[in-house]
Amino acid sequence: MLEFLQICIGGLVVGSIYAAIALGFSLVFRVTGAINLSQGGFAIIAAMIGYTLGVSFGWPLWVAIPAAVAATVAIGTALGAFTFVPALERLSNANVLMLTAGLLTAIEGVALVVWGSQPYAMPPFSGEEPLVFGPIRVPTQAFWVFGATVLCIAALWFLVAKTELGKGLRACAENPSAAGLMGIDVARMTLFSFALATLIAAIAGVIVAPTTSLQFDTGRLFTISGFVAAAIGGIASFPGAIIGGIFLGLATQLATAYISSLFSTAIALLILLAVLIWRPSGLVQGGAAKRQDTRDEVKAVGHAAKLPANLAWPLAMLALVVAVLVPFAVTDNGILSGLVIALILFMTLMGLDVLMGYAGQVSLGQAGFMAIGGYTSGYLSINYELSAVLAIFAGIGVSLACASVLSVVTLRLRGLYLALATLAFGLLVDSCAVGFLDITGGPSGLVGIPSFSVAGFEFGTPRAMYYVVLALDAIILLGLAGAMRSGFGRALKAIRSDQMAAAALGINTVRYKLAAFMISVTLASLAGSMYAFFFNFLSPEMVGTGRSLELVAMLIVGGESTLVGGLLGALLLTLLPTVFQPLAIYKTFASGALLVASFLYLPQGLYGAVVQMAVRLVRPRGEAPEESASKTSVRAL
Amino acid sequence: MAMMDAQANVSAEAAAVLSVRHLTKSFGGLKAIDDVSFDAAPDQVTAMIGPNGAGKTTVFNLITNILSKDAGQVRFLGRDLARMPAVKIAGLGLIRTFQSARVFPGMTAIENVMVGGHRLNPRSGASQMLWLRGARQEERGILRRAEDMLEMVGLAPFRNTHATELPMGAQKLLEVVRALMAQPKLLCLDEPAAGLNDTETQELANLLRAIRTLGIPVLIVEHNMSLVMNVADQVVVIDSGAIIARGTPAEIQKDKLVIEAYLGRENHAAS
Repeated sequence: MLEFLQICIGGLVVGSIYAAIALGFSLVFRVTGAINLSQGGFAIIAAMIGYTLGVSFGWPLWVAIPAAVAATVAIGTALGAFTFVPALERLSNANVLMLTAGLLTAIEGVALVVWGSQPYAMPPFSGEEPLVFGPIRVPTQAFWVFGATVLCIAALWFLVAKTELGKGLRACAENPSAAGLMGIDVARMTLFSFALATLIAAIAGVIVAPTTSLQFDTGRLFTISGFVAAAIGGIASFPGAIIGGIFLGLATQLATAYISSLFSTAIALLILLAVLIWRPSGLVQGGAAKRQDTRDEVKAVGHAAKLPANLAWPLAMLALVVAVLVPFAVTDNGILSGLVIALILFMTLMGLDVLMGYAGQVSLGQAGFMAIGGYTSGYLSINYELSAVLAIFAGIGVSLACASVLSVVTLRLRGLYLALATLAFGLLVDSCAVGFLDITGGPSGLVGIPSFSVAGFEFGTPRAMYYVVLALDAIILLGLAGAMRSGFGRALKAIRSDQMAAAALGINTVRYKLAAFMISVTLASLAGSMYAFFFNFLSPEMVGTGRSLELVAMLIVGGESTLVGGLLGALLLTLLPTVFQPLAIYKTFASGALLVASFLYLPQGLYGAVVQMAVRLVRPRGEAPEESASKTSVRAL
Repeated sequence: MAMMDAQANVSAEAAAVLSVRHLTKSFGGLKAIDDVSFDAAPDQVTAMIGPNGAGKTTVFNLITNILSKDAGQVRFLGRDLARMPAVKIAGLGLIRTFQSARVFPGMTAIENVMVGGHRLNPRSGASQMLWLRGARQEERGILRRAEDMLEMVGLAPFRNTHATELPMGAQKLLEVVRALMAQPKLLCLDEPAAGLNDTETQELANLLRAIRTLGIPVLIVEHNMSLVMNVADQVVVIDSGAIIARGTPAEIQKDKLVIEAYLGRENHAAS
């Protein structure tokens, strides 16, 4: 019983932090209808700055901590003003969510560059000595955490419920366009809510820092836990966020203590998936739930870049010839390996493009299927000496089975809930990859996976592997291009932009979404297996959530709904760090920053730029593009 | 209105493409649709008119199961549509458009029309992936038909323009031909003239007459009287959720109840 109480106190401490972060989610969501995943990043930045000022520079904590919070809020507000606010005006909410995932990655990247990858430990504010209540010992920091959380909640409640500013925020939450007409500066309110959420996250970050070890990517955990807590409690409601946070904190701490620390995340995620099935909008229904369907679609769909048909085939042939010749020009094994990795990721990216670019289904857990495929085929070929091809098919089989279970959840969800469910799935696979020591080798990875071989012929060198993967890519691309240029692709695009109108034309939306999902899962699983065969090794972080986010970045940077765009993104983000070794540490930052920049400034991705260039080269000067035909002249007809 | 329900409809029902019987729907105690019954005859344009808020679009949404009905029955080509999902209803050949032109953003005009051909696409995604002859031929056939459709409404020069960049009138026409592309057995148009200017409305009337000569029955919900009087064979007038008159356009124009519904009764004029 005592032990139980002690664990519950620990749970409340963690839960308070989750609740604070969830409150930030809820606040931004209610005002803007979008989810801001960068929260946890700001929490960790604040904690890191606090450490540098307080420990490295030796400032007194009562100066260092507020300074860290202030600095973080300044950074956050600037980032919000230049990315989040403009993004809200032109991107769908699902894309804003991915943009903030990019922000989170970029922040992690900055933390990696500035603070390195080693863990830091912050001293408690009021000394190490815990307070003793009879047999129960409570660390003093716990009181700081409770106090700060309660203060945040009270201040936020007062601000929203009792002040003029709060009234403006609530007006934006109810109806942004009407609020705008009434003279409320919606953009400024959006920024204000973003800054306020940053403030809450920063406070949570510095306060919790002494109770945990800090690392450049700890922020991701804060984000995910806060997001999960907000979703469990009900994202549109402040009390929901608090209840969800406390609940999640208690559940994970109890699970860690009584079951296993390896599965505590898994349990939290299973709770989340259960809530998503049982009550998709959370335990507490918010007053001002946003309609995800209508508002989204107005600005949802950009125009994908498309090569004119007369250029597509010659250029594709040219690209294939170049690709075949590349290994003769590139002798450096490191670069060739980079190319193989890019080509393997391209498989996943083509599938992800069908799912996300064409069908419009957000997936933040795609690497989870790479993991399932890779571990299954790796395990089978090590322990049962199964041939590589059979092992790949076995991996695909297991992946499809998992996907069918997951689709029970995902087919019912859209927008941010879909993103959340896929993210949770990816994390679940992560924690299983770490937890199932006997099968996966745990955190240190699965070693001794044989190279890819067919009928006794082994493809052990990067060059041999390059050709295998290139051939697979070419076949997959040809097949998907055939489907995407025909009725299948049109049906997906129709579903992406307007499900109801698509259904009214006889398109079976469920079947098509499922087909797109299964295609993406098959390709991710295949890529995961090839990845494992190529490295002869597979570890959880190679196919973890970081990879999922990187895949999204590659797709967006390369160009959505183009199929080939993903290759450009994969090449860019894989080869740059390989070619310029000293830059490798900037890779995380680059993938996040490029994702954000592409969303804002290059909506058609690199591929769009390439297409424009190709078209300009081929078309003689002075000939007007047909698009520019005057819109008004329709009336003359 | 002269022929009140019963006898006339017994024979009509057998021949009707769509027969709606005793449709009823309440929203929180308020009866939005009250015992509405009517038929859409083959080879005819049936129009449902009524003042704003009369419940016209609600009837449409009840027919296509976008809203669930409290009571009543809808039969299409003899089949009961109860609890049938939208896809299946479309699969039977009842194709509808929406009040706010719902062209697919992110697709060009020609692609939009081609989506309409989906219903009659027997080829599987797999055969498209393998670039099989049949799939490619089918694709060419759909393209050709879609081009003809655009030609018919004068949008051919804009085939590669993104649909959302077209003016409202063109988007509405595009939505109608997209529905036509699906070879409907009954075409249901929800306020196609809403938001159109006079010239555009005239173009729409021409298109509707062309559709009629193709032998495709049309059910049209419309606010615009002149369009209805121009193209409809049968008119059903609905007010406050109930049918107040039915007949040919000429009969309707003389009907006292209809005039009252549109212009207000003298003693109620203020409200």
